[in-house]
Amino acid sequence: MIFSTLEHILTHISFSIVSIVITIFFMTLLVREIVGLYNSSEKAMIVTLFCITVILVTRWVDSGHFPLSNLYESLTFLSWSFSIIHRVPYFRNHKNKNHFSAITAPSAILTQGFVTSGLLTEMHQSAILVPALQSQWLMMHVSMMVLSYAALLCGSLLSVALLVITFRKNVEIFCKSDSLSFLIRPIFFDKIQYVNEKNNVLRNTCFLSVRNYHRYQLIQQLDCWSCRVISLGFLFLTIGILSGAVWANEAWGSYWNWDPKETWAFITWTIFAIYLHTRTNNNWGNKNSAILASMGFLIIWICYFGVNLLGIGLHSYGSFTLI
Amino acid sequence: MESLNPTSTSHHHRLQSPLFIPSTPPLQSIFNIKRSFNRRIVCELKTTQNDKKNKKKKLVQNKIVLSEGAPSLSEDDDGNLEASAEKSEQSSLLRLLKRVPKRVLGVLSNLSLAIAEMGSVAALMALGTVIEQGETPDFYFEKYSEENPVFGFFTWRWVLGLGFDHMFSSPIFLGLLVLLAASLMACTYTTQIPLVKVARRWNYLNTSEAIRKQEFNDSLPRASVRDLGVILMGAGYEVFLKGPSLYAFKGLAGRFAPIGVHLAMLLIMAGGTLSATGSFRGSVTVPQGLNFVMGDVLNPIGFLSTPTQEFNTEVHVNRFYMDYYDSGEVSQFHSDLSLFDLNGKEVTRKTISVNDPLRYGGITIYQTDWSISALQILRDDEGPFNLPMAPLKFSGDKKLFGTFLPVGNTDSPTVKGISMLARDLQSIVLYDQEGKFVGIRRPNSKLPIDINGTKIIILDAIGSTGLDLKTDPGVPIVYAGFGALMLTTCISFLSHSQVWALQDGTTVVVGGKSNRAKIEFPEEMNRLLDRVPEVVDKSSLNAINN
Repeated sequence: MIFSTLEHILTHISFSIVSIVITIFFMTLLVREIVGLYNSSEKAMIVTLFCITVILVTRWVDSGHFPLSNLYESLTFLSWSFSIIHRVPYFRNHKNKNHFSAITAPSAILTQGFVTSGLLTEMHQSAILVPALQSQWLMMHVSMMVLSYAALLCGSLLSVALLVITFRKNVEIFCKSDSLSFLIRPIFFDKIQYVNEKNNVLRNTCFLSVRNYHRYQLIQQLDCWSCRVISLGFLFLTIGILSGAVWANEAWGSYWNWDPKETWAFITWTIFAIYLHTRTNNNWGNKNSAILASMGFLIIWICYFGVNLLGIGLHSYGSFTLI
Repeated sequence: MESLNPTSTSHHHRLQSPLFIPSTPPLQSIFNIKRSFNRRIVCELKTTQNDKKNKKKKLVQNKIVLSEGAPSLSEDDDGNLEASAEKSEQSSLLRLLKRVPKRVLGVLSNLSLAIAEMGSVAALMALGTVIEQGETPDFYFEKYSEENPVFGFFTWRWVLGLGFDHMFSSPIFLGLLVLLAASLMACTYTTQIPLVKVARRWNYLNTSEAIRKQEFNDSLPRASVRDLGVILMGAGYEVFLKGPSLYAFKGLAGRFAPIGVHLAMLLIMAGGTLSATGSFRGSVTVPQGLNFVMGDVLNPIGFLSTPTQEFNTEVHVNRFYMDYYDSGEVSQFHSDLSLFDLNGKEVTRKTISVNDPLRYGGITIYQTDWSISALQILRDDEGPFNLPMAPLKFSGDKKLFGTFLPVGNTDSPTVKGISMLARDLQSIVLYDQEGKFVGIRRPNSKLPIDINGTKIIILDAIGSTGLDLKTDPGVPIVYAGFGALMLTTCISFLSHSQVWALQDGTTVVVGGKSNRAKIEFPEEMNRLLDRVPEVVDKSSLNAINN
């Protein structure tokens, strides 16, 4: 009983903290950069990560099995992975983590919000594990899959952002009320000197104004970020699919059954493999691979949620009904 | 820090005459010679002696300037091979024969084709999850009827004609997979393996213009290329210095790992093909206490399936029992199995459960299901009678079994009796002749229950175990492919960074690129370049040279 109240309190704390953090981030990006608040938002995300970790650990201790047996628990794990991915750039001291944080933090809060909302209340209680799920492989397979979903979602959202900015560039080149100029100028002011000296060979773009140059720089950054994050997510997805296949072989005797969820995970893998291959050939340009990654966003949601709505096959544990 | 390069030792030769300038001048005379002048002399001097090697060197330099676009590399290779084939006198027919597989290879290893194949495989798989698989033709007649077709044209003729009802073994899907495998093999052979040869050569860039064309470039005034080399070595690069030019790289494994990924995928496909054509599979439900022979149960799957000696083994189910949670749900079910060979000798005995199979002689027995086979009762102290139990309702993991004991006149058509229902082996629910609930008994308690004058004692509920048997020769290959794929995917995450530098007067021109870490590479290079010491004046620079 005490665990469930603790869990309840912690989810509410994390939810409110993350919403405050989101507000601060958007204020930073759109209005003005307030450095003092930026530090506090970083600390607030650390607190959120801590809260979600404690939630997962208490569920683990309370129910005796790794907290990944139904949709509620896997969604909590998803928001935990988003928080972890949010912290990764801080470990390597990258500059300009703002856009990356702007993607991961809202994802964390939206997932956490959906989880704590009234839609899935019947799954909040920790349930027992059916015999087929009582295995060590549960930890590795499902955690890898959820981590990969989180990373691939972040990467595809970055690509969507890239596409939005690119289309805005084509549409409003001379528009004065461009809020993106507020977005870009304070962040990139220090970088312009650096780039002018180094990059003597400009690519085939024509910079009509300083604003377009900043936009080009932002697009390049988003492109690089999305490529890296998607590569990481692809690695986790590969490991997740393969460990699932080995587990299936140990439990039921065949490593691939063309189960809907397995098939959709393979389709996701194929789409992102195509994405990585299009990036090796530079003639295709950034936009095409960004379009691919945006399609990947939809496919991941179908793989994660859509298949569960069918409720059939080996992966019926994740099914739920929206009442 | 001059490192000896085995492939180009010939280029290090120096001519003794002061008039002819060798291709690799020592550091003293470097500032007096222009680069282009030097190269011209190399060509003229060495035409007779090192013709072939020079050509290779030129081709190598061509390969540097071309970015790592895979298809263009194969054309270069083709051109080179074809030129040498034409030089030696061969008949035109042989030449034609040689060209055909090359052209096929060239077509197959095209990246756009591979991407199109992957995309269509993904689309077919998606279609396979939307269309129900494995149903009777009547189902498709109803669902995709010709009166109102889906999307206006998609009728059952499409579904059954193209094999979409068994999508994942249909000719279209398998044909696409075969094509994808062929593309993989062609791509690995034509582009990836030459990439290995290119990446292993220490490619120097000898002009500042070539260096400035790199993605990242910089120039350090008043520096020495050797200091840069030392700092790069400290940062984990492998540095090669030849005269004024420097070449350093890091993370070469990241360049080879995609080859490993493709090879691992080919291995998995080969193992999967072997599984699909050479395995045996079967499932059986055996009540506790009975036995079966493996060969009776196992069915061949493909045309390569050959039975082995172990198929004569007899499997005996000694005991089947289940564990329960406190809430009454099933937690795990176990079967105690003994295997006997032809002579009746027990070869092995193991208790299996879900996720814990029994392996013997290449055959694996999995615990997948359970049911209740019979109920053993004493009626009015007579018996014991075995009443077979039948499944009544299945919903997911929840099952219901029931049996019926007729009471009274058994010959009349409307015979009444006692019904007994069970959800699992723990407890039996009894109902009387009118269907009214009477009571619950546990099999172990042996407590009698009186139903309208009939005394029933439930002795035992006999369960039956659902076993899946399988033998699969492709599994070791597929597992090896899985492991290789996981490992090589991890390694391909490393980025391969290359740095070139040239000492141009007192300035060092630096250029570099990285294939994955496009963000961190400029930052890292800037950090390293900041640490290169500045050479203060010309006299100290000459002191270094001397």
